[in-house]
Amino acid sequence: MDASSNKPAKTKAAGKPIWPKIPAEFVRAMLAGHSALGLAFAALIYLVCFSGSVAVFTQEFTRWEQPEGPVLRTVSPQAVDAAVRATLAKNPKAHDLLVRLPTPDHPRLSVHGDDAVGGERTYVADQAGRLVGEARTPWTEFQTELHTVLHLPRAWGGFVVGLTGVALLSSLVSGVLSHPRVFRDAFAFRWGGSKRLQEADLHNRISVWGLPFHLAVSLTGAFLGLTTIIVGVLALATFKGDASKAYALFRGPTVADDPRPAAKVIDVGAALANIAARYPDAQPTYIYVEHPGERGQHAIINLATEGRLSRGETVVVDGESRILGEVGYESGSLGFRVLSAMTPLHFGWFGGWPVKIAYFLLGLGLTAVTASGVAIWLARRRDKGRPAPGWERLWVAFAWSQPFAYGLSALISLLSPIPAPVAVWGLATLIACGSAVFGTPRGLSIMLRRISAGLLALTAIAHGASHVSVMADPIGWAMDGALLAAALTLALTTLPRGYPVRC
Amino acid sequence: MSALWVLALTPLPLAGATLLKRAWDGPSPQRPWLILGGWGLLVLAIGASVPLMGPARGPAAILAVGSMAVLALVAAGVERRSARNKAPRELAPEPSDRRRVAWRGWLRGFLAGPLAGVAALGCGLAVAICAPGQVQSRMVIGGLIVPFLWAGGMAWTLSDDKILRAFAVLASVATLTLGAAFLKGAL
Repeated sequence: MDASSNKPAKTKAAGKPIWPKIPAEFVRAMLAGHSALGLAFAALIYLVCFSGSVAVFTQEFTRWEQPEGPVLRTVSPQAVDAAVRATLAKNPKAHDLLVRLPTPDHPRLSVHGDDAVGGERTYVADQAGRLVGEARTPWTEFQTELHTVLHLPRAWGGFVVGLTGVALLSSLVSGVLSHPRVFRDAFAFRWGGSKRLQEADLHNRISVWGLPFHLAVSLTGAFLGLTTIIVGVLALATFKGDASKAYALFRGPTVADDPRPAAKVIDVGAALANIAARYPDAQPTYIYVEHPGERGQHAIINLATEGRLSRGETVVVDGESRILGEVGYESGSLGFRVLSAMTPLHFGWFGGWPVKIAYFLLGLGLTAVTASGVAIWLARRRDKGRPAPGWERLWVAFAWSQPFAYGLSALISLLSPIPAPVAVWGLATLIACGSAVFGTPRGLSIMLRRISAGLLALTAIAHGASHVSVMADPIGWAMDGALLAAALTLALTTLPRGYPVRC
Repeated sequence: MSALWVLALTPLPLAGATLLKRAWDGPSPQRPWLILGGWGLLVLAIGASVPLMGPARGPAAILAVGSMAVLALVAAGVERRSARNKAPRELAPEPSDRRRVAWRGWLRGFLAGPLAGVAALGCGLAVAICAPGQVQSRMVIGGLIVPFLWAGGMAWTLSDDKILRAFAVLASVATLTLGAAFLKGAL
């Protein structure tokens, strides 16, 4: 947060303030720390926040990329078993399978596993469990991986994203401490006039009213990203470096590995029937079928229960479809329940579409806070007679590079038979940043926004046109409509008005 | 169903914020009541969400959607100013001007990054290994305090001008906590 808007918006009768007075030197020192940290991590925080806002709709984008369906509300245990067997028939040597069952967020039955030549495939099944096609969701996978690991090797990517979460959390702490009038100015929102005050008001208002969300996503994001390193050091202290022993504490009943061939493949249908009998109020959401066809085969079944902030309980079933027990994510100790709440709380996957939309908008708000933080620093330099025009152009170009790169990668993914969204995204980001060599910050901002709006609109139109006869899932039309609305909004922000257009 | 409940409750934080804004707009005899009513409605919204949506899910949902609704209210009250007007003289504090010394910058970066991280990790490990309670709970709570303490350490070391003091404190905390964790060596 920035303290530039400390001047009260209106003249009020002087009264005794209810907030404790914070020494000016402390505020100045905190501001210096806040500024240094924000600048050091600005690009990473911006990227993680923007990608996280889009990642809220991961399920919806998965459905949008394969709108042909089949759209299933429920499915019988026998159909699930049939889908598993059909997948194993395609690759009898598949080591593990992930079966996703229909849920309100993702009304599909799909089986993911490795194929005979070592690749990975996801098959989509119909109501009877027949495999009717292959799911291809390259753009959804691209945007998820960008947010979670920045397309770096998993351990490094997770660490960098986790560290970014720590930097964001630290910025929140120093921002609140360096803004003594944070609550007194809570409704002051002025636009126009001094660029620095305008950006400061935007920065501070979003920061204050979005604070619960900002704290939740930064803390959970940092925890999720740093898990590998935390568990690694814990294992070093307690298990002689064997991290798998630390993870095993959260895996529930174990089945001994036995690669000898089993008499028959695990009956997933019977396992689901047993689960339904013991957990009548829970809905199975996904199943890991481990080592199918081996004596050590077993299934790990995730169960969601309405009304909980949890990724679900996990139940382990042996090769004979007998329930061995549950991990305790919903019935266990505080640690299990907190751990189980992390992912849904981080991504906004717990309260239906109003929470998803709020997370999306608040996430974009946090992205705007990051952008405005750098803009305030640049405006302050300009006010002091030390402008940095190159950095001003580069920052504007980078900030608006992401809608452009996301739009272009989505469009190419949709149209190209060999989609390479990461390469397209990287190239588009570089081109946008390279455009900072030309023009003014305002010109760059308007140009990139207009191109992004065009790309988003084109993506929606191309998607609708190419799936018009097969769009079984209405979310396909809804997402196309949302993309068009986003394009229109973006284009409208570039129209000249009576007050300055924001860079 | 949860979507409907959260929508049904959203007017409460919105009404609460409206009362707080009226109190903020200017002094009046009703000001204390407006503040009390505003905060009361915000608390009521969170409280009402518990029986309707669950003890953890309800407050989390209403905080997210309520924050968004209040931000919309704040945006609706935007005060537009002419770009031709010069900015009034700033009264806001400026960041402290530090002497630009390279070794201090590198040391500050080392304190805020690796050393604060190791100290936070040490505290988390000490909780996970040495604190009483169930193993998994200790591990998760210990893990959760790592980013929190690291963030706090980062904010402190980047703002404190006495970096040698910060160095001494962080190094001591790291040594003590990691020493205790590795000495015990079992969960």
